Amino acid sequence: MLKMHDLYKVYRTDEVETVALNGINFEVDQGEFVAVMGPSGCGKSTLLNIVGMIDGLTRGDYWFFDENVAGYSEKHLSAIRKQNIGFIFQSFNLIDELTVAENIELALLYHKMPSSQRKKQVLDVMDRMGVAHRAKHRPGQLSGGQQQRVAVARAVVGNQPLILADEPTGNLDSVHGQEVMELLRSLNDEGTTIVMVTHSPSHADYAHRTVNLFDGHIVTENLRAA
Amino acid sequence: MFWNNLKIALRNLRKNKLFAFINIAGLALGLAIYVFGGLLVNYERTHDLFFENAHRTYTIGSIAAADLDVGVDRMGSTFSAVGPIVEAEVSDVELVARTISREMLITMGAESFYQQLRFADPELLQIFDFDYLHGDASALNDPSGILVTESTAMKYFGNTDVLGKVITMDNEFEFYISAVVRDIPQNSHFNSLFIMESDLEILAPIQALGRIRDYDMAGEWDNLSLGNMTYVMLPETLGQQWLQAQIDGIYERQVPEDKKEVIAGLFVKPLAEANLAIWDMLGLPVISVVSLLSLLVLLVACVNYTNLATAQSLGRSREVGMRKTMGAERGQLLTQFLVESLTITAIAMLVAIAMLELVIPLFNSSTGKVLTLDYLSTLPWLLATTIVVGLVAGAYPAWLITRASPIDALRDVARKGRKGSRVRAFMIGAQFTISAFMLSLVTVVFMQNEKVKESSYIFPRSEVYILGRMSPDEISGRLDTLRHELEALPNVDHVGYSSQVPYEQNNTQIDITMTPGDEAGKFRIHYLAMTPEFLDAYDIPVLAGRNLSRDVSNDERSDESEVVNVLVNELALEKMGITSPQDAVNQRFYDLDEENSLREMVIVGVVPTQNITGLFNTEKPWVYMYRAKHLRTGSVRITGGNMMDTIAAIEDTWDRVIPEYPIQGRFLDEVFDEVYNILKLLNGALAGFAGVALALALIGLFGLAAFMAAQRTREIGIRKVLGANSLQVARLLVWQFSKPVLWALVIALPLAYIASKTYLDFFAERIDAQVVILLASGLVAVLLAWGTVAGHAIRISRASPILALRYE
Repeated sequence: MLKMHDLYKVYRTDEVETVALNGINFEVDQGEFVAVMGPSGCGKSTLLNIVGMIDGLTRGDYWFFDENVAGYSEKHLSAIRKQNIGFIFQSFNLIDELTVAENIELALLYHKMPSSQRKKQVLDVMDRMGVAHRAKHRPGQLSGGQQQRVAVARAVVGNQPLILADEPTGNLDSVHGQEVMELLRSLNDEGTTIVMVTHSPSHADYAHRTVNLFDGHIVTENLRAA
Repeated sequence: MFWNNLKIALRNLRKNKLFAFINIAGLALGLAIYVFGGLLVNYERTHDLFFENAHRTYTIGSIAAADLDVGVDRMGSTFSAVGPIVEAEVSDVELVARTISREMLITMGAESFYQQLRFADPELLQIFDFDYLHGDASALNDPSGILVTESTAMKYFGNTDVLGKVITMDNEFEFYISAVVRDIPQNSHFNSLFIMESDLEILAPIQALGRIRDYDMAGEWDNLSLGNMTYVMLPETLGQQWLQAQIDGIYERQVPEDKKEVIAGLFVKPLAEANLAIWDMLGLPVISVVSLLSLLVLLVACVNYTNLATAQSLGRSREVGMRKTMGAERGQLLTQFLVESLTITAIAMLVAIAMLELVIPLFNSSTGKVLTLDYLSTLPWLLATTIVVGLVAGAYPAWLITRASPIDALRDVARKGRKGSRVRAFMIGAQFTISAFMLSLVTVVFMQNEKVKESSYIFPRSEVYILGRMSPDEISGRLDTLRHELEALPNVDHVGYSSQVPYEQNNTQIDITMTPGDEAGKFRIHYLAMTPEFLDAYDIPVLAGRNLSRDVSNDERSDESEVVNVLVNELALEKMGITSPQDAVNQRFYDLDEENSLREMVIVGVVPTQNITGLFNTEKPWVYMYRAKHLRTGSVRITGGNMMDTIAAIEDTWDRVIPEYPIQGRFLDEVFDEVYNILKLLNGALAGFAGVALALALIGLFGLAAFMAAQRTREIGIRKVLGANSLQVARLLVWQFSKPVLWALVIALPLAYIASKTYLDFFAERIDAQVVILLASGLVAVLLAWGTVAGHAIRISRASPILALRYE
């Protein structure tokens, strides 16, 4: 599904140059569930952001469905992104001014889709994620676990084949964390490819494969025993 | 998508109520001022358009000669001799008509009253299609016919069916009403109180003036009173430029050489602008200034909005990041933010319209204007204004917030960094430039007006009761009786008569020479006719020599003697080359004016130089002559006692001595206020604009300071943990806003200097401390800015550091 070759990401300020990703080679197949682990500052989130095309790469190649997107314009990337990728963040990133339903609908708003179909898809996904009874609430009125369910709903409502989750359980207690992981597993079972950054080895166990990063390099890759 | 954007916009407003209020209130105020200014300017520039021929009717005005020194630039009027010349020489014009303004004692029904009348050529009724209730446009063809308005007929006869009713002028000449027309709408120059003292109520034929006052129908070259209008109606095919060329030719060929020393040219103006004559006259571009100021106020309001919206939008960086992550293109996000700003502008416009609906009736009732907010005709303009303001004000914040890449937006890089802070500082600077400019300008104008008022106190303004309209023969024959009777009243000290009183803007001048017949050495000197008591009435001392006297021969000018004794002021001595008042006594000079008969004037006394015409005029050389023929006004000096009782006693005395004519009394104060009120009006308007601009800038600064203080909460927490005290933190925040404000002063003050100098140049006596006043106003602007920011700064600097750190 996606493949990175000799990929670099360098942050430059006037005086300091920080290499966040240092010659990464990384591949994900369709239907895979990949966990990315590593200590703080090793480049996990940077890798995920580049995979999700919300951050640019400095050097190297990135094939997404056989298309080298390195060097694409933001407009071009955004078109690919909205068709193919859903995002889940540690801090949920829900918009406070919008209701649960509207937050989820936001992911469809930029697709050319009639309003009736949007509403239907939103209702379906809210049912699936168990937040339908909260449709008219604002994010501030929900628990952390509920907020993350809404975020997951938003990530999958467009039926995107790839979900990127950046520490999706980081702000949750263990019970709610577990719930979210089960959600992700069931999505993966239904065929959605998932790449997840996590600090938690137990949550990484949900993945088929774990990639360990250290100082911008991929140091090990472990396959989970079937 | 649009509804979604609108929904978000409204929810954002609800969420940030303080900012929403500041944004909408500020923008509404700016829009209200702008729309009001626009309506006013349009109203003033589109008078008389309800007349069918307005678009092809022009007035001929006069440009005052530069060395005339009477404080006016351009007059909407011209000599009445010009009209007949245009008619005779320019065959292509369709119609020419004049009006001559003259004051008459009118007796209509049971009442007698003084009124300035317009005597008009019969063609006036061909040019202006009045709405006739009775009679028709031939009303002035009969030299005894007069036209009255509906309300005049109602007032004096109780109905409008008054054709043939008799009206008497000056107790002697009878006329009959030949037409009654509907009242002329207020937005006509005929009703401009700056041109005539009253609305158009009566029109009489010019021929009648020939009968009453021996008036030559060919017109005269003496009088430039504002009511002396000349109207020219052109065929549809010809325009203003063509007429101007013809009129220039007439000026060159036909205006007598000595009149070219009075007027430097003639100018043509469309009828729609005839009511603006007063501003042309003063040489102050008031209408353009109103346009400019209202636009500046709107600009301040827009900058306010932009600034607050920019600061506020930084808080929405994550939302933008999220939307981008989900595939929103920049164009879509720009649209979203612009819809928000258009929504706010539209709400502000509705508030502004509501404000105007309240203000316009008040304005109309206090000014006598009939300004209206006609939605049908102004809708396109209001819509366009809303859209332009919404887009312009919202463009920068929308551009700034949607600029970041998705990841930068999610990480809130813009908020954490200093992005846009320079632009915000620039915008604060721009706002304060405008408001400090206006504030300092208005202060200079105010101080100058105060100075004018202050220097007017050289005359006992509140103790002199002026009796007007004393020239008719029946009155002038009884002046001595009246004086004796009045001086016998308790509290009346002196009664003097004169051709004009202080502050009256008359500029009668005579040409004199120091040796007989010296044509080359002649110069002009202002002339005042008076009785000897005039000096006592105004406490004018005699510096050398003596006052004029009723008992010395030649002290009063008579047609029998070629010598007349006069008083002059010190400035006249200077002009004559006489060094001291003592040397002046018994010196002679010569009057060249009257039909070339030479008259010798002997200086018998010298008075100090006083600014008789006052206000904006320079001090002038004056000669004071006792000449009964020219006495028009009385000055009754009252000291002590109950003023109301004394006035009542004066009125009783008048009624006893001159029962045929009503008394026309007012205090000298009112004469002064007649012109001074125009200056006060200007200052008031300017102060209004300045006040709103400054208030907007301060509101904006308040909002921005609140926002930036919140933005810097974490930084402040860290600083406090590291040992900064409250004062240091407060200073930090105050300084952040001081820099742009100080820069603003550097730009605003020199501009205000130039603008206020234009105003001061209008006056002969100017305030000395212009620069000090400008600096002081600048300081006030800075102090106000500090005061506005300080509240936030102190509150946040006192908070516990851990609160500040927890904020993030």
